[in-house]
Amino acid sequence: MVASDSMGHRLRISGIFVIIGLLVEALCLVWSRPIAFVVLVGIGGALIGIGVLLFLYSLVSAAPHATITSGPVARK
Amino acid sequence: MPTIAILALVLFTAVLAGVLVVRPAITVSRAGKILAFGVLFFLPLFSFAVGVQNEMQRSESTAFCLSCHIMEPYGKSLHIDDPSYLAGAHFQNHRVPADEACYTCHTNYAMFGTIKAKMGGLRHLYIYYLGKPPLPENIKLYEPFNNRECLHCHLGARSFEQGAMHNADPATLPAIKANALSCVSSGCHDTVHNVGHWGDKVKFWDGGS
Repeated sequence: MVASDSMGHRLRISGIFVIIGLLVEALCLVWSRPIAFVVLVGIGGALIGIGVLLFLYSLVSAAPHATITSGPVARK
Repeated sequence: MPTIAILALVLFTAVLAGVLVVRPAITVSRAGKILAFGVLFFLPLFSFAVGVQNEMQRSESTAFCLSCHIMEPYGKSLHIDDPSYLAGAHFQNHRVPADEACYTCHTNYAMFGTIKAKMGGLRHLYIYYLGKPPLPENIKLYEPFNNRECLHCHLGARSFEQGAMHNADPATLPAIKANALSCVSSGCHDTVHNVGHWGDKVKFWDGGS
């Protein structure tokens, strides 16, 4: 199932963006410098936003009743 | 929300997102779909919102303002052991909250004043990192200090309303309230920070935060 495999791929990419964005946010929370706010909003916010939008896109672009496989897709 | 709690929320969300990255197949089940929605939509946005709110709150602290080297003399002026120094007298006597001393006087108490103050802060950052910052003694306010910021606390206070100098001339008090006569004008409360003009005789109070 190619559609479901691409959805899983998009979920992974989305998750990676969100994780990096959250790590940037965590760094900014412990970094008490004025520039931390700009990094949080500019970089962290952008990464989290891209991740969330990619997740939403993966939902609306998924084929009906698509299932996600974690390993290689078996094709007949 | 305390910073440590926000940090825990952010890391918890990142760990759950990591689970989805490693095992996207768990979203096949109904519970997995709900988890994915929570971890890749709700929790990141919520974490970001509370993180930004936390940073906004932190940007109001005295320590935040004084973390720029250029502001160090202004922080030092809060400890001048001389009551004629307006900023120091307010800080040392807790007429302003000691942990939000800069923000309390330098924010704008009109509508959108906080937003204006934050935009001013971003401008400061731009000048500090990408522009040519002036020497501390050459820093000027963008616009003349508005009495509204003083009257936010002092209006109605006995010391202000019945002060001898404020009532020496019947026109003085209405002029102050109308911002026609500045509180920090020459001969009144004109010694504020006076960075660069302290001289050798100025002493510093070693208390406070």
